[in-house]
Amino acid sequence: MAKTLFELKGVYFSYLGKFPALCGVDLSIPEGSRVSFIGANGCGKSTLLQMLDGLLFPDKGIIKAFGAELKENNFNNEKFAREFRQSVGLVFQNSDVQLFCPTVKEDIVFGPLQLGLDKQEIKKRLERLVDILEIKDLLDRAPHQLSIGEKRKVAIASTLIIEPKVLILDEPTAGLDPLTSRHIIDLLIQENIAGKTIITATHDLHIVEEISDQVFVFSREKRIVRNGVPSDILKDTELLEAHNLVHIHSHRHKDGVHIHAHTHLEHHAQE
Amino acid sequence: MSKRRFIRSSILAVCSFIRESVLSDAYAAKKGLLQARDARFKLLIIFTLLLAVLFSKNIIFILSIYGLCLLFALASSINIAFFLKRTWIFMPLFSLFIALPALFDIFSPGQPLVSFRIFGLSLIITRQGLMSAIFFFVRVLTSVSLCVLLALTTRHYVLLKALRIFRVPQVFVMTLGMCYRYIYLFIEVVQNTYLAIRSRVEFVSSLKHGQGIVAGNIASLWQRSYVLQNQVYSAMLSRGYMAEPKTMDEFHMSIKDWIFLAMAILILVLVYGKNII
Repeated sequence: MAKTLFELKGVYFSYLGKFPALCGVDLSIPEGSRVSFIGANGCGKSTLLQMLDGLLFPDKGIIKAFGAELKENNFNNEKFAREFRQSVGLVFQNSDVQLFCPTVKEDIVFGPLQLGLDKQEIKKRLERLVDILEIKDLLDRAPHQLSIGEKRKVAIASTLIIEPKVLILDEPTAGLDPLTSRHIIDLLIQENIAGKTIITATHDLHIVEEISDQVFVFSREKRIVRNGVPSDILKDTELLEAHNLVHIHSHRHKDGVHIHAHTHLEHHAQE
Repeated sequence: MSKRRFIRSSILAVCSFIRESVLSDAYAAKKGLLQARDARFKLLIIFTLLLAVLFSKNIIFILSIYGLCLLFALASSINIAFFLKRTWIFMPLFSLFIALPALFDIFSPGQPLVSFRIFGLSLIITRQGLMSAIFFFVRVLTSVSLCVLLALTTRHYVLLKALRIFRVPQVFVMTLGMCYRYIYLFIEVVQNTYLAIRSRVEFVSSLKHGQGIVAGNIASLWQRSYVLQNQVYSAMLSRGYMAEPKTMDEFHMSIKDWIFLAMAILILVLVYGKNII
């Protein structure tokens, strides 16, 4: 049985002590798995991801990572902080947040430099990633000169270069064209095959089945209402509808008006 | 210009000025004499020449350095008209205003050249006054030209990194680099906000109303930058930042850099040490 990487028990969190973001979350994530969080806007997915990355800490409840409890004080210990940051990488939803250096190259190498990796090793990793993501031409450019898709690739590269055991992604395909989305999904699948745990928050139901073994559905009450394998979750249109993940859609199809839940999945193939 | 257009023109002009002056690296990306120099050496060479201009009491020498600037600009594929526009537009405006009092006998007594009366006050321009005003103007012009040359031929982030040779703390250099990075983002926010307002109301009903909109947007921009600052800090922490920034400085010096620097130092030594120029 796979080792548990993250374990959350009764986790509550609120911003400024008055805006609740998570209201009693329990879950566990095994090593090497692929996990997705789905839910409506503002249901707490991004907050949870930042918590898994050790950037936010529960007001109440316990969060354990790699067997140890995650507490803010632990990060004052340089050894602990370094090991944790080397093990867990987060790709932020807004790439402009993540790309804060004057050039793409500096942004990509920022992480390993802070973690004290050897410069030759950093260069080697950079070359490899640049080839995989096809971003060689972007290296000397400023992040503000890039398109959304390019920014997202660079943000992913800036996290992957650390070679974390766990890769957390917040809406990795939001706003991207189909080809770039495909490229990113393929990359995530490859990284999982290579042994990384992939944790994703997304609205894009198209990609859920491909990038997850387990799906957690968040309610607007900021707690998990259901979890299971993607095929079961995605079939449950009532559940998806109740949590703003699909909408009822009516259109003329073949000989008559066709009404169904609009999941953007292959509903016609099932007829 | 109508009051209605005043705010629109101001916003667009400010954004366009920042884009062109701060963010443009078109010349730095070209191939040329100064672009090929190691940024650290270039900074030292310009700094040394600035000192020479500062210490020199010979206008011909300073004019020679100015001529050198123009030659450097040509050799660095910089459009001379553009270069002159950059260096001369603010020059008469500021340095002449500063130098204006020095023209008159009140501050520079000496041989009278021209005398006239303004509001019953008798003013005399002296030869010595005129010379010191011209000297001041030429010195400022040459110094500004040297600095503009440096800024035009070096990418801003490389220039910031080169500041490290003057022992500027890494955290300071990094913060400046991040400011530079986010200026663009905020310009976009300002422009998009303005477009959003325009798409809804087209014209503001009064100047006061317009000022209210601008003030509201300044506050909103401040708030956004505050939120962004927190998020960026989280992103830095997430990638292992621990209060001591580390960067990968990649400078490439060549024998030509040493030769240029040696020549600049020689000029400074001649000016300062032997006082012959």
